[in-house]
Amino acid sequence: MEVELAQLRRGFDDVGYICDESALLTVYLALRLQKPLLIEGAPGVGKTELGKTLAQVLRTELIRLQCYEGLDETKALYEWNYQRQLLRIQIDCLLEGDRLAEDDLFSLSYLLERPLLKAIRAPERRVLLIDEIDKCDPEFEAFLLEVLSDFQISIPELGTLHAETIPAVVLTSNNERELSDGLKRRCLYLYFSFPDVLRESRIIRTRVPEVGERFAVEIARVIAHIRSLEELRKKPSIAETLDWARALVALDKKRVDGALVDDTLNLLLKNRQDQLLFHRQIGREGVEQLLQQPAGLGEDRECR
Amino acid sequence: MPLTPGRYFEENMALFAALLRSEGLLLGTAELLDALQSLRHIDIADRASFKTALRATLVKNERDLEIFDRSFERFFVPQAAQERQFRETTRLREERESRLAEAAEELSFKGEPLPLSTEEMLLYTSLNDDQRRNLQRFVQETEAAERESQPLRPLLETVVKGHLRYWHSRREQLSAEEGNGRGEGGGEGGVTRRSADRNRRLRESDIRMLREPDLPKARALLDRLSRQLLRRLVYQRQRSATRGALDFRRTMRANMRFGGRPFLLKHRRRRRSQLQLLLLGDLSASMKRYSSFVLQFFYGLQTVVTNLEMFSFADTLEYLTPALREQGGLDQVLERVVLQGQSWGGGTNIGAALTELREGYSEMLTHRTVVIVVSDTRTVQLDRALPALQKLRERVRRVLWLNPLPPEQWPLYRSVQAFGEIAEMWPCNTIAQLEEAVAGRLFAATTYLDQEVEKDDQTYRHRR
Repeated sequence: MEVELAQLRRGFDDVGYICDESALLTVYLALRLQKPLLIEGAPGVGKTELGKTLAQVLRTELIRLQCYEGLDETKALYEWNYQRQLLRIQIDCLLEGDRLAEDDLFSLSYLLERPLLKAIRAPERRVLLIDEIDKCDPEFEAFLLEVLSDFQISIPELGTLHAETIPAVVLTSNNERELSDGLKRRCLYLYFSFPDVLRESRIIRTRVPEVGERFAVEIARVIAHIRSLEELRKKPSIAETLDWARALVALDKKRVDGALVDDTLNLLLKNRQDQLLFHRQIGREGVEQLLQQPAGLGEDRECR
Repeated sequence: MPLTPGRYFEENMALFAALLRSEGLLLGTAELLDALQSLRHIDIADRASFKTALRATLVKNERDLEIFDRSFERFFVPQAAQERQFRETTRLREERESRLAEAAEELSFKGEPLPLSTEEMLLYTSLNDDQRRNLQRFVQETEAAERESQPLRPLLETVVKGHLRYWHSRREQLSAEEGNGRGEGGGEGGVTRRSADRNRRLRESDIRMLREPDLPKARALLDRLSRQLLRRLVYQRQRSATRGALDFRRTMRANMRFGGRPFLLKHRRRRRSQLQLLLLGDLSASMKRYSSFVLQFFYGLQTVVTNLEMFSFADTLEYLTPALREQGGLDQVLERVVLQGQSWGGGTNIGAALTELREGYSEMLTHRTVVIVVSDTRTVQLDRALPALQKLRERVRRVLWLNPLPPEQWPLYRSVQAFGEIAEMWPCNTIAQLEEAVAGRLFAATTYLDQEVEKDDQTYRHRR
């Protein structure tokens, strides 16, 4: 199942995931080289979404491993089904039949598969999404390194399980801590910044088709302007943009204005300090001013 | 692109990798092989795809993206620009040669050029006409004064060389001054690079020296750091929920109903008893800005470190926690302390503050308390302060001292050494160091004390 670049592009378009050409090409290369793809960027720029989209495009199951501090092998890889093994021993004691061989107890039927093992043992290629890898412990990262470089897992009682097919692996990171060089070395790297006004308005149009073209651009401009406040605790994510667009549609609005932004600010900035910052630095007047300027003056550059 | 077909292509790639390495990227052969392999899957004639493929395989870091972009543009030059560049270098080379010939001719002694180095000759031709004429005249006059043998020649050489050396050093001096004058604006690179640089600069510059326009940015940075730390602390707490060692007593008890067969495994629970943090910030004139920064940092942690008490002191002690709880917002509280407290800006008396703390708030000083003093150790009545600190030290688990003075200055102060013998003294004069001290050393080990509590044992004993 080799993917062609054009096919991938069409797939992304069909699903409605808008990304630039270089991101698309990077995903394509990761698939062709069978290497994990590490995506970094601010929260809410669509990193996880890319993994999900990829599964949709490849028409395969998405296996997701959400990382957190304290995640260990038993949650990520496998665990022996202890209770079942014990029951089996009990039954064997009651039935006077053949003696139970130890090998039987440590066979695949007593193994509880966790995401990593599941992805490796799948009969056809799956998409394995390892989300927020920066939140797991360094020890787990080192362990992951081993799995991702060889795509095989050693289980002491059972031997080494090789991957039937190499899964398409997507790792995401919010840059909360630096990942190890070893892990990075194994991956292709993609950095997502917030989309520019043009692309974001395309995203809005795709996801919320009720929004007119001009309206979408206005929304995107306001969002880009808010994101340009460097001191924000959390910049509005793309998902929040979409929520906002939907809300505006529900309110039956056709244009953005200062008062409207003010009234619906809760959907964009979910933090008191950030809201105050908005009022201080932009406010109603700032929005009005922005919208009166012709589009495309200095705001098209991508902000981080 | 300067890609000559065939095997030169790989060589070119290796050269590009070497360029990236020299710019500081960590880049191994494995990455280079990845890059070459990836090129097989793309349209190599398309510059944008080519660049993307190289970037995806060679760069592993947000910081390096920009270095990559710059190096790429420098290395893979389009054909037209390349030709232009080539013409330019040829022109420069020819010009250089003609200048050398000129110098050799003008500075010759009896038809024989003086033995000057290439640099000296180039320097000569770059002098202005007056200076050149002066030198020439000197050579000619010496030539005229010369009789049969050549005893003057070595002298002449020395003088000419010395002259050129003078101009050389003079010029270096000038360009250095110019360089200083240009200041920060000189660097190339876009908005993002500058903002990343600014953040790094903020993190690493002395907090006491921060300029007024930098303050909001520095506060935002501090805020972000404390939230990051906070998130880590929350995770740490979640992590403590994972199980400890097997608890045989509870396992057996739980499995009585299965006839003693251990179906359910019981693990020891870890109970973590929290430390009490007590922050003592020096608000005297010299420490005002620094302490308000540190206080803000800890204030940001308040939501997770519930048992955090804050004090400020200068000549007297102020208990800040209740005010913080009521009014919320550190800025207002500090402002109020400025307006009301006569203590603000006065002479520092650490000894008095510590004594007052011990006498007035003794219930806060237990074996679970970690006292963090934020001060540059400068105080009146040092001799009284030392025993006060010693007494405090005996009451609590640890006393940490965050010192804004750079460590190289520590030996200069007697107070630093004296306090340092009693408390753990940590250097802390940049935001980066503050973060390291708190995140790396304080919270890494001690916020929660691991205690494996055998709960059942206690109940058992109780019943008996």
